[in-house]
Amino acid sequence: MVSRRNYFTIVIMMLVVFFLCMFINNLKEVWNDYTVNSYAEDASGYPSQINIYLPGGSGEDEQAQRTEGGEGEGETVVSRRKVICIGDTDGALSNMVREWVTYTKRDIAQYTSLASFADGEREMDIPEMLVIDPDCIHWEQEEEISLLTECVAQGIHLIFSRLPDVSVIENSEQVRELLGIRNIAEREVQVEGLHLYGGFLLGGEKVYHAVEESEKKYQDLEPAFPWYRLEAGVQVYMKGIPVDESVKPESYPAVIWRKSFGTAYVFAVNGGYMEGMTGIGFLSAMSADMYTYELYPAVNAQSMVFAGYPSLADENREVMDTYYSRSVKQLFQEILWPGITTTLQDREFGLTCMLAPQYDYQDGSLPDSRQLKYYLKIFNEQSVETGLHGFDRSRTLPAGKLAEDQAFLTEALDSYHFSSFYAGNLKEEEIKEALQEEVLSSVKTVVTKPEEEHQETVGFLSEQVTRQRVTGDGLNYSYRGDLLVRSMETALGYLNISFDLTRVAYPEGEEDLWENLAVEFARTAGAYGKDFQGFDRTTASECDAHIRCFLGLDYEDSRTGDTIRLQTSDTGGTVWFILRTHNEKVKDMEGGSWRKLEEDAFLIEVEDEEVVITLEPSEKRYYY
Amino acid sequence: MSMAMLTVLQIIMVLAAYTSVTLLFPWIFLHKRFAGIRGASAKFMAYFVAGNFYIMNLVFLLQLLHISCWLTLVIGTLLPFAAALFRHRDSVLPVLERVLGRISRITGGEIGKKTLLVKFERKLRRMSSGEAGKWASRHALELVLTLGIVFLVFYMYGTNAVNVYGYCASDMVVHHYWMNEMIHNNIFVDGVYPFGMHCVLYYLDIVFGIPGHVLFRLFGVVQTLMIHLMLLAFLRSVCKSRYAPYAGMALYMLTDRFYEYAYYRYYATLPQEFGMLFILPSAWFAIAFLKEKDFIFTDGKKETCSLVSSQYLILFAAGISMTLAVHFYDTIITGLFCVGIAAGFCFRCFRWRYFRRIVVAGVAGIGIAVLPMAAAWVMGTPLQPSLNWGMSLLSSGSTEAVSEDASDDRASSGSTEAVSEEASDDEASSAETAADKQPVPKVPLSVRMQRLYRTVQSELQYYVTNYDAGMPRFLLGSIGLLFLLGILWFILRRKEYGAVLVSVSIFMLFLTVLQSAAALGIPQVVEVSRHAVYYAYGIAAVWSLCLDAVLFLLLRGNHLMDLGSLGTVAAVCVAAGLTGIKNPVCLTAYETNGAMICLENIIRENKDGGTWTICSANDERWMVDEYAHGYHYELITFLRKVEDKGEFASVMIPSSNVYFFIEKIPGLYVDYINTEKPKRTVSAEGAQEPLSSWPGIVPYVGNARWVTMSHMYYWAQEFKRLYPNEMEVYYETDDFVCYRIQQNEYSLYNFAVDYGYHHEAEED
Repeated sequence: MVSRRNYFTIVIMMLVVFFLCMFINNLKEVWNDYTVNSYAEDASGYPSQINIYLPGGSGEDEQAQRTEGGEGEGETVVSRRKVICIGDTDGALSNMVREWVTYTKRDIAQYTSLASFADGEREMDIPEMLVIDPDCIHWEQEEEISLLTECVAQGIHLIFSRLPDVSVIENSEQVRELLGIRNIAEREVQVEGLHLYGGFLLGGEKVYHAVEESEKKYQDLEPAFPWYRLEAGVQVYMKGIPVDESVKPESYPAVIWRKSFGTAYVFAVNGGYMEGMTGIGFLSAMSADMYTYELYPAVNAQSMVFAGYPSLADENREVMDTYYSRSVKQLFQEILWPGITTTLQDREFGLTCMLAPQYDYQDGSLPDSRQLKYYLKIFNEQSVETGLHGFDRSRTLPAGKLAEDQAFLTEALDSYHFSSFYAGNLKEEEIKEALQEEVLSSVKTVVTKPEEEHQETVGFLSEQVTRQRVTGDGLNYSYRGDLLVRSMETALGYLNISFDLTRVAYPEGEEDLWENLAVEFARTAGAYGKDFQGFDRTTASECDAHIRCFLGLDYEDSRTGDTIRLQTSDTGGTVWFILRTHNEKVKDMEGGSWRKLEEDAFLIEVEDEEVVITLEPSEKRYYY
Repeated sequence: MSMAMLTVLQIIMVLAAYTSVTLLFPWIFLHKRFAGIRGASAKFMAYFVAGNFYIMNLVFLLQLLHISCWLTLVIGTLLPFAAALFRHRDSVLPVLERVLGRISRITGGEIGKKTLLVKFERKLRRMSSGEAGKWASRHALELVLTLGIVFLVFYMYGTNAVNVYGYCASDMVVHHYWMNEMIHNNIFVDGVYPFGMHCVLYYLDIVFGIPGHVLFRLFGVVQTLMIHLMLLAFLRSVCKSRYAPYAGMALYMLTDRFYEYAYYRYYATLPQEFGMLFILPSAWFAIAFLKEKDFIFTDGKKETCSLVSSQYLILFAAGISMTLAVHFYDTIITGLFCVGIAAGFCFRCFRWRYFRRIVVAGVAGIGIAVLPMAAAWVMGTPLQPSLNWGMSLLSSGSTEAVSEDASDDRASSGSTEAVSEEASDDEASSAETAADKQPVPKVPLSVRMQRLYRTVQSELQYYVTNYDAGMPRFLLGSIGLLFLLGILWFILRRKEYGAVLVSVSIFMLFLTVLQSAAALGIPQVVEVSRHAVYYAYGIAAVWSLCLDAVLFLLLRGNHLMDLGSLGTVAAVCVAAGLTGIKNPVCLTAYETNGAMICLENIIRENKDGGTWTICSANDERWMVDEYAHGYHYELITFLRKVEDKGEFASVMIPSSNVYFFIEKIPGLYVDYINTEKPKRTVSAEGAQEPLSSWPGIVPYVGNARWVTMSHMYYWAQEFKRLYPNEMEVYYETDDFVCYRIQQNEYSLYNFAVDYGYHHEAEED
């Protein structure tokens, strides 16, 4: 016989269990407002194109002067000065330097020759540094070399984006002296990798050397360059790993080094590593080495973009059955998504999935609205942003594809406002045309993956729409790509890795199968997730907000003893800086917060216009 | 943590380790066997001798077998305990079971902390109310005075250790080198030499993990404490009154009337002073044996010695053995004391049953000490140069006074050199030889005696006292008085007590003669300033015994004697206060405090890290030797390589961290222990002078060191100019700076920069 009390208790317990089993999931679904894009924030509060910092935009009298100090008790203004680029005005080097100067809020002057620089800057203040294309120097003229030596004596740092021909170095002692070269070991040495030392680019030490046969495909670095023996007083940042295994590591041929003259440094790059966008990270790293500290603005955004994921139509069924025995929809839902979430569960990446309702608009397979709702729900639950993918396998014009997408979305959800758009390698005109379409009317940022190297990394496509460039292909790892990623992280604290998952739906060979691509995916996620943990993980729209504040920002900084004062303006929101020191660490900060990125590198988050950072030595002696 | 605090903790660590091995372990193992030895002081000496003897010979044995390491040393240490456990396994096993059960109950939480504390408190209470408590309450004042002596030793000799962190004697580097080689089972690396002290230090290093440089810095304090405690134990064993020993010791430690070199050597860890630990115990065990009357039992035809007499003889042999195993000077002094004892106890010593046993014990002691050295010699290890000197002295009977320091310590290291100091002595002896050839007029005996007295007095005044004219007379008077008191006690039929007094007085007479040996024209077997250390040490015993003998004479058998002796302690303290109290001295070390602080920090910071190199002048070379990732680069070698301006000139140091130790006020690095402070700072003038091209440590001595450091300073300035962010100031004081360079081992810095001063040097 059950007593009434026990009966009542049992009933209550059953009700609780029933509630837990049935209603929680229901409530979750009811409260999941997946039809509203939470990232579709109005960008009007953020800086737009008209607020962007432009080199030379401020008056000369307001232009801060960069002088190194720290001595004495008075305040020492450590601010930015003019960068001179000597090279072809429209060349890759000039574009790169111009971009770097814009990001670091410096001023720039460009000359096509050293003689024109001497004439043009005669009455001007001493510039901070000269970035030199060696082809623009008349190495046979001693006066030009003497002019460079004079620049060094005046305290102007020289950066040679490449080295002159070996014969020039061989024949001129003056050039060798300037570049810190003792003699030429070999006119050309075959290398099979690079050793990048820690403390130069962010991310620490890295050896690009394919030891295993399976890694050989990553090797796309320059296979040969001249081998110079260097003098004393030289600091080497990167060396080549020669094919000849008998060479001792300390004798490896140098790729990037610095010769110190006491008054200024001469940086030399043996090879073409500075000519692409990789150069901006090198410039930031070199600049950080020139002074006792370096504080420069950063985007602070680590994004991961899944391009063409998910797809909602049952496409390419025959091939899918052959490889996976299931449809694209099932493959994406049952295999890819669990795999992706498992790989990323400890990485905390900001994910943006660029939805492709269908890849082929002519095969008759139409997207499934139930699939759309399913993905929007789980993306909303897991804070993944949903953007729109611009890929069209049937080569339909963007306008046509986007119109079809709009029709599908209206039918499925009434309306959905995308705030990010994946343009892939569409041309700028095509992107602008696409942005006029109704489905993209709410888009505020476009992720691009241009084929041209010189396109800017972050910027404005139109007055209100930003562009963020993909800095790495997550499914095609290579050493040069890795170097570019490290360079971008160093210069901007910016990582945008795209994973083109259309390859999975339309495989062109065994290498496009998910079982192989998953390995590449895990490798990329592991490599970048580990080395750059200090930066914020953002979706494309969050990154957009960072980019707007970063581009609009201007700042001044000064140092008195252990205290750095930072004055920011035109920020429009929170901005971030990278602080690089030498054997110092942040002790305290007013007006913001900080976090350590790695040894002697810190991410500074600025909330107020005026920030005070107090430094202290990295190490204190335990015994005194 | 301040370096002073670290030093205090390290001293405590060294003291705890050393007393564990030399007192605690022997007490645990031998307290039942040594029950027959009378008096706590005598037992203290017995345990101490036994502990040191065992450790020393264990290390010798393992080293000669080349199997010395932590494991074998620990096994060797525990072997006697294991053997005892095995022998008494029936009775020990239940005890062991009980103890283990208790431990398991504690660790298992069965017995809580509170219960444990209550039990501990009860045990303490039982102990305090038991025999130990009664003994402590009986000797409470003595314990307080002993603690006073301990405090005084720490104050007088520990102050230097807490304030001066470098080695205070030039030859410590060499001893450190010899000890380090023992880590590689390479004993007698520089030739056969008495390695007793090295064995003990090596043992503490390996078994307790106390780094060699800490031992050499601080063992001197522990050793000095034990030297004074041995003196106290000896005096407490021979004196009749309780407190007279403290009076003599207090006067010895407090008065400022002794010449500095009579105690300066206590500030360093040196073999001679370590050997002093065993002089008085050896003498006491000889005396104790000679005091035994009916020690032979006849069992049929077989004669057996009583257990306690045998123990005295064994301990006497062990003591003698250790003096020889540590330093020959100590054996000489012990030998003289034995002669004194033979004279004092002449009524008993020359009886066959005593004589043959004590001679056999002495010879056995010498044999034990010589055995490891002889074994090494037979196996082909040559004699260390200072042993050659000793042999030649013994075989030729030469009257030439030779500084042993010069021959043994400076010449032996790869980085040290012999510096002869004998020129003046040679001149003096040749002048005497010339004078001897002239006809000598007859001088009356009284005049000759007066001259002799004046000579002795003058030598004592110069070498032992602080130029105090009255002090030599006081010293000689004390010795004379002690002799007379001894004779008086003979007359008063207290033969044994009188014999002790006479023994000590005769011993001190020998020391007096030896102190003046050169002036008297007899062989000077002990270097004169080092001899003063023994002399001052011995005189403390003379004073205590004089006071004791007088008090015993006046207040014989009366309880007032203890009171009187306590009064003498107070009186002596007042007298010392009135005549001048010695202040603790801070010596000039052979490296700056900054260098030692840096070394400690470097060792700590690189404990788990990569390789590191210290580029410095000499002394750190052996300090870093026992660290697997630590290396040393000689400063002079570095500078000479930097000066090589050839096309391929490069100086690279293949380690992650490179530290440069530069003295802004270069030390003097003179050979003798001193308090002279360097004043000259490094300068461009110094850097303009060429570097010394002499080998060894000559570039680090005197003016040459100033030049070397000046060059190094300007090199560092230039390198910092070129690498402002990479070369950091690791530590800096007014007189010292340490720079650190962190480098990638795959991309080493070339340190051969032109610092602007080597052109002149090359031209010169």
